[in-house]
Amino acid sequence: MSDDAMATRIEALEELLTEKGLVDPETVDRLIDHYTNRVGPMNGAKVIARAWVDPAYKRRLLADGTRAIAEFGFPGPGAACIKVVANTPEIHNVVVCTLCSCYPRSVLGVAPSWYKSPAYRSRMVAEPRALLREMGLDLDARVQIRVWDSSGEARFLVLPLRPEGTDDLSEADLAELVTRDAMIGVAEVVWSGP
Amino acid sequence: MSLDLTGLSISGVHDLGGRAEHFAAVQHDPDEPAFRERWEARVFGIVLAVHTVLGKSVDEFRYEVEQLPAPQYFRSYQARMLAALEKELERDGYLVGGELDAKISGQPAGESRRGSRARPRLIPLAVRILASPIVPRWVGAQVLPQVFGGARRTRRPPMFAVGDTVKVRPRRDGHTRQPGYVTGKTGVVTEHQGAALLPDARAVRRREPPQHLYTVAFDGRELWGSHAEDGTEVRIDLYEPYLERA
Repeated sequence: MSDDAMATRIEALEELLTEKGLVDPETVDRLIDHYTNRVGPMNGAKVIARAWVDPAYKRRLLADGTRAIAEFGFPGPGAACIKVVANTPEIHNVVVCTLCSCYPRSVLGVAPSWYKSPAYRSRMVAEPRALLREMGLDLDARVQIRVWDSSGEARFLVLPLRPEGTDDLSEADLAELVTRDAMIGVAEVVWSGP
Repeated sequence: MSLDLTGLSISGVHDLGGRAEHFAAVQHDPDEPAFRERWEARVFGIVLAVHTVLGKSVDEFRYEVEQLPAPQYFRSYQARMLAALEKELERDGYLVGGELDAKISGQPAGESRRGSRARPRLIPLAVRILASPIVPRWVGAQVLPQVFGGARRTRRPPMFAVGDTVKVRPRRDGHTRQPGYVTGKTGVVTEHQGAALLPDARAVRRREPPQHLYTVAFDGRELWGSHAEDGTEVRIDLYEPYLERA
């Protein structure tokens, strides 16, 4: 169906459900605004930057992601159970959901459509090295790849490696460098200098 | 005709891990916005709002999505969500078949209207809390996991321990979080994640005691044989009933 047809269909359904008392359009507005403007990768980036500058926070974050992220007060049901997995020079983590599209919404917002695509969901568990290379991340053959298939309670957030040469950057500046892709594990965080 | 979704041979439409017929280039846009079109945002918001009103668990809706015919499942993500929402509303009697099409074409809905048994409820307050700009730390750490997550306590001791070698049971039925590509495969327990309500039961509103949940690591070779890439593994959380001693 075209975008126009879909727009007509959802508009009609919203009217019907409003008449039936199942939907309050203002509540829908509020939910959309929340996921468009208030939560998104900027939340996750703050968590990552804090973990880079504060070793005690990093320990708490890896021990209990849900609790450590709650220190920031990000709202929403996506915060129910978050597990943070740390990249090391030897191990690279990447996240997928082969059965649906589980995603840590409270820290990353709405999942991008490529993450929800059949191509990503089918390939990432079977040929992660080739797929990451295609997506622009060419890992050394000695780096072990650990793919996390989100199937249970936990939603996964990757703690990327802090780029070299960023010792002088503030926590806020570091957060600016952290991308959604890096926190899913399909990219590294890069710093090209001041 | 009912589809036999047990065992390895036939997987559900949604069970995509390792399914070579879907292997294609990933259309990757690092800067993709939350919603491409306004209608997509509307579908997202309405699905969330309706499920909050009806007190539906995520597993019930997932099961609905998984039962879509392939042509509907493989539309764009929000189109898939809308198709599943329509099916769910019909199943629960809030919509009658053809009611939405009648509304779109301006026909009187007539008889179908009486089929709905919706009753107004109050959710704006819940959503206000859910979508508040900031939540207190204790709410995030303790309340949200209880309300939105399936994690629960159990007194039953876990059957497996970290380091145990386990095999994934050969059978699957109905809604399950046991993907086809790990079915029958052998892995190692790397973490015990406590206990949680079993999605297989929640999807059909069957009351069951919580089950232990484990992270299990599978080597690429075990999953994909000679096709496996070197130095790759998959880690996945699996519920105790899915696992057998290896």
